[in-house]
Amino acid sequence: MIRAALVLLLLVHPAGAEVMSSVVAPPQEGSVIREDGLAAWDRVHAVVSHPRCANCHVGADNVPMWSGPEYPQTGPHGMNIDAGDSRIGAETLPCTTCHVTSSAPANGPNDAPAAMIDWQLAPVEMIWFGQSSAQICAQMSDPARNGGRDWIQLAEHLRDDAAHGGFVAWGFAPGGGRQPAPGDLQSHIDDVLKWGAAGQPCPG
Amino acid sequence: MELTVNRQRHQIDAEAGMPLLWVLRDILGLTGTKYGCGIAQCGACTVHIDGVAVRSCQIALADVGGEVTTIEGLGTPDAPHPVQQAWIDHQVAQCGYCQSGQIMSAAAMLALQGEPDDAQIDRIMSANLCRCATYPRIRAAIHDAARRLATG
Ligand code: FES
Ligand code: FES
Repeated sequence: MIRAALVLLLLVHPAGAEVMSSVVAPPQEGSVIREDGLAAWDRVHAVVSHPRCANCHVGADNVPMWSGPEYPQTGPHGMNIDAGDSRIGAETLPCTTCHVTSSAPANGPNDAPAAMIDWQLAPVEMIWFGQSSAQICAQMSDPARNGGRDWIQLAEHLRDDAAHGGFVAWGFAPGGGRQPAPGDLQSHIDDVLKWGAAGQPCPG
Repeated sequence: MELTVNRQRHQIDAEAGMPLLWVLRDILGLTGTKYGCGIAQCGACTVHIDGVAVRSCQIALADVGGEVTTIEGLGTPDAPHPVQQAWIDHQVAQCGYCQSGQIMSAAAMLALQGEPDDAQIDRIMSANLCRCATYPRIRAAIHDAARRLATG
């Protein structure tokens, strides 16, 4: 099924498509002790709080952030950008005006970040920017605020987004000299599963 | 590769990764679209793809999924688009370099937002820079164009 989807994708995007593949192999529920689950969470948190991810997981002001080693200081996205309640800039300037949807994710130093799906902010309930590890952990383990997903579905979401050249893939391979999120997709998925199998423990 | 620009179809023989801006300027000779920065920071290269503003320096030829409209196709000297007419009436341009991008952004905005207020205009047009600082005239012309579009 996945293979068929990949083939289709490669046909649609023949020009140097880079699709990031991974597997979801969940451990038995309860087979991971809480301590190891918390350690896995810490690694998950290092990824989701990284600027490549958190800059677009912002709150209800709908303003993406510019933070991280590429910027002299942390602040709102330049050019007065406001993605609106649509979170894709439909009310103002679509994100895709500059962050074009690309078959060959734009990795040159001259390119605005681009992915194979339309650029956008994450849903507002998935706010990560400026949140504590405990807050993000609570959000990610709450189906009402995580897109209705259990821990295995969270991992599958990561796998599927990356397979389609979405923002998960971009975060680990942003190109253009940008610092990627720490680690790699497969270890991130494995950590989410370890944390889940331990019962999604949260710090604090 | 096939590309529709200003309602005309073209067969383009170029690298798939060539930015649309180069295709427009160097291959099709449509030099109304300007090259300012090449890095999505100035807006001088703005065109429409299916009516949506896009920075043509950013999109590769292979990724253009719709019909392109440039400043040459928005209106003509004899029948200017209401935004172009407002620009003429308000004599917005100074050096003019940024202005085709400004007009394309303004036209795309007005297709989305019927009658924007000053704050909305600033929010939407902030990514189009003008070295000559014609911003007050841009704002005035946009209000005027919005009225013209509303009255048809
Ligand atoms: S030339 Fe494209 S945004 Fe400046
Ligand atoms: S009129 Fe000169 S840059 Fe805008």
